[in-house]
Amino acid sequence: MRLIRYQTPTTYAPANYPSLLDEMDRLFDVAFPALSSFHRGNGTDWEGQFPVDLYQDKDAFVVRAELPGFRKEDLAIDLADGILTLTGHQKAETKAEGTQNGKTETVQERRVSRAVSLPENIDVARIAAAYENGVLTVTLPKREEAKPRQIAIDVK
Amino acid sequence: MNLFTKKNDSTQATQEAPRRTAVPRYGVQETADAFVVTAYLPGVARKDLETSVDGESLTIFGRRTWTPPSEWTPVYRESRAADYRLVLELDHRVNRDAVKAELQQGVLTLTLPKAEALKPRRIEIQG
Repeated sequence: MRLIRYQTPTTYAPANYPSLLDEMDRLFDVAFPALSSFHRGNGTDWEGQFPVDLYQDKDAFVVRAELPGFRKEDLAIDLADGILTLTGHQKAETKAEGTQNGKTETVQERRVSRAVSLPENIDVARIAAAYENGVLTVTLPKREEAKPRQIAIDVK
Repeated sequence: MNLFTKKNDSTQATQEAPRRTAVPRYGVQETADAFVVTAYLPGVARKDLETSVDGESLTIFGRRTWTPPSEWTPVYRESRAADYRLVLELDHRVNRDAVKAELQQGVLTLTLPKAEALKPRRIEIQG
C-alpha cells in the first residue's frame, strides 16, 4: 500500500491580493474547465481523498482526518499489518422532483479511503476513535514498553 | 448570470486579524423552488460559523478553533490551519428573508428560496 500525499483542493486567498487570485481562478476556469471543477464547480463530488494529520505525544499517536458529512455508521476504521485504513462510505438516495431536467431520481454514492502506516509500538487493544464536526480522531496509545522512561542510576 | 459566482473578497485586506483564509470546497444546486449551497467546513463547530447575507453577497465564514495541545508533536500534516471564507454573489432571484442554514458534521447546507416572482406559476386566462 502506498501513501499519496493529499493535495488541498482549496485555494489560498493571500490577504492583500484577493482580486488577483480571482483573476487567476478565472483564467484557469476558462483554460482548463475540467481542472477547475475539481475545487469549485459542483463541489459535492469527491475525489476519494481527504487530508489526514498525524501527531504524537509521549503516550499516544493521534490521527485526525477531515471527513465532513458522514454518519457514524458510514465510517470504518480498520487496522491490519500495521496499516490503519480510514474509510467513509455513504449512499444517499435523493428523489428530486421537478428539477430543471424534469423528474430525476439520483443515487449519490460517496466512498473515500486513506491508509496510514503506523509504527510498531501501538497498543491495538486500546485504540479509540471519535467523530466531531466532520473530523475523525483516532487515538492510538503506545505500548508501555515503547514509552520513554528514565532509568535511575544507583551511585555506589 | 452572476448568481453564485465567487466574489472578490475585498474586505479581507482590511480585516483586523489577518489570519489566512481558504475557500472551502462547495457546490451549488438548483431545485424547483430554491438554490442549495453546500460547503464542506470540516473542523468548524456551530458557534464558530458565521453566515450572513448582505445586499448582493452571501458570506460564509468558518473559524477553525481547534489547535493541537502543546505536548503534541506533529508527525505528518496535510490539513491547513486557515479559516474558511467564501463570498458568493446573489441577485434578485434569491429571497433573502427566508435563507435557511444547517450545519451537520462539518457540512453546511444553505437553502436560499427563489424569489416569489421567479417560481413557476400558471396564469389563468380571464374571460
